[in-house]
Amino acid sequence: MEEIVLGIGITALAGALATVAGAAEDTESDIGSQGDPNSQVQLAPQMGYIHRIFNKAISGEPPAYGAWCVIGAGVAWALMQINFNPALAIILGSAIAVFVQGIYCTSGYLGRTASLAKFQQPVYIDIIKSLTSVTMAHAFVAIFCTVAMCYLMASALHHPFALPLLGLVWGIALGAAGSATGNPFYGKERQYQNQKFGAGVPISASGNIVRYAEAGQRSSLDNGWFTTKFAGPASGICFGLIVFLELWRTVLFEKLMSGWGAIIMGIVLILIFTFIDRWIEVWGRKTYGPYVTEEASS
Amino acid sequence: MSALGGAAAGGDGINPTGTAVGIVILLVSIAATYALGFSIIPLIGIIVGGALIGFGVHFVPVGGAPAAMGQAPGIATGVAMLAAGAGLAGLFGGAWAYEATGDFAIAVVGGAVGGGLMMAITCLMVNATYVFAMGIPAASGKVDKDPITGDTFPAYKSQGTEGHGLPFISFFGGVVGGFITGLGGTLIYIELLDVYHAALPTIMQADPAAIEPLAVSLAGIFAIGFFLVNAVLAAYNITGTIEGPHDPKFKRVPRAVIGCAVASAFCGFISMLILVNTGM
Repeated sequence: MEEIVLGIGITALAGALATVAGAAEDTESDIGSQGDPNSQVQLAPQMGYIHRIFNKAISGEPPAYGAWCVIGAGVAWALMQINFNPALAIILGSAIAVFVQGIYCTSGYLGRTASLAKFQQPVYIDIIKSLTSVTMAHAFVAIFCTVAMCYLMASALHHPFALPLLGLVWGIALGAAGSATGNPFYGKERQYQNQKFGAGVPISASGNIVRYAEAGQRSSLDNGWFTTKFAGPASGICFGLIVFLELWRTVLFEKLMSGWGAIIMGIVLILIFTFIDRWIEVWGRKTYGPYVTEEASS
Repeated sequence: MSALGGAAAGGDGINPTGTAVGIVILLVSIAATYALGFSIIPLIGIIVGGALIGFGVHFVPVGGAPAAMGQAPGIATGVAMLAAGAGLAGLFGGAWAYEATGDFAIAVVGGAVGGGLMMAITCLMVNATYVFAMGIPAASGKVDKDPITGDTFPAYKSQGTEGHGLPFISFFGGVVGGFITGLGGTLIYIELLDVYHAALPTIMQADPAAIEPLAVSLAGIFAIGFFLVNAVLAAYNITGTIEGPHDPKFKRVPRAVIGCAVASAFCGFISMLILVNTGM
């Protein structure tokens, strides 16, 4: 019984860490323009729209976060092997991983933007100076929370995988959850804020991203400010739910029916989410109705 | 037609020459494994697991960059990475269940459910984002009617787009895809773990309990590698985006299954080569 109570506590803590990690990951990727919407940041100068948006799609978010989390977890694991305090080891591991991220950010921005030179897109040094540290700070939060969560899984819940392996697995899952949930909000709602609300961006508008703010040119910091209103928390909830429910169903129900209890609970959870998804889909169709062109609505 | 106006490359058919070469590679890998003194049963399990991953990836609705602008339905990220994320979440659960119960069936089904659960939550949050934050109802671009719910889509599709959001059939495909990739990945992990468990103590002349962490780590790293190999191969077969099982591109599945089986056979052979005691 005591073991289960401890397991529930660890599960809750891991879920909370995952929620913070998901929110920080998505905000980092939106400020740094790491995900799929960066295709438009890269495309804009080619269509004649010069901008001051950070442009650092080093790779997809899942492999990028897989790499950074495995570096953080690997360094932390190595330090713990030489008897470093776990908290200090995780902080140092995450700090080293963030420096790797910062190097990738800088080279990513310089390389990507320099490749647009023939379209007259300048490389803004002040963007590197002001934004790289911001993305690094968010990445630190995401990596630290993920590595700490993996440490809890390895040490308190006794998962068979070693800490670096857990870092790789959950880093990739973190990137997948964050990019899936956060990308549409950054891509459609922010970059194409000048397009109609409640409709997809017409393919003909591709590249015409919003480049001006209330005063002066829009900065990627403005994008982070905007996406933290929905995309960041939603990504956090997504990753937090994944981690929490995966641990919860195992910790609480694994002993039931000689192991099948966790599986049955997983299937029940999938059915519940399926029901909620269908409800959301039907609610959207009923509330917004069919697509109406501007001519038809006026 | 491609976006650049040229003829569409690829197609849905199976290339007989390529398939024959692939089958030869597969058979040679199996024969070489047998010749080195290993049982071929684990390799068969690995091949089946790899083919399952390749098959499962085709169910996952992936919209890539166009989905991020609401220009195409699906989840706004890459095919290979999303499938790997789901499959690895499943592998996490499957490995844990195998450690706790030692039961093959529980571990494999546990891995499958872990992958399905990850995709169910992700797909739900994608729809929540589209509906509640962007005010966009789901609409498929490939079919006029949802094969499961019967919802019609043409009236809901925004002008100038190929659809948006995740219709229920795509949600269903995502969950099934996560389920199958999680199953395949866990199957590979367990087959490799059993092989390493049996052979590593002899080769390293060490106590089996001392070898345990090494065997688990090696099997885990190779299983992740298999995931990425098969997910990327399937992504090449899909070429860009796919809406799910109702997408015409889904007909390309046999080609991916063959390709993934061949790649898994060769990679499986390599993963067993590390157990060969050369006496050096």
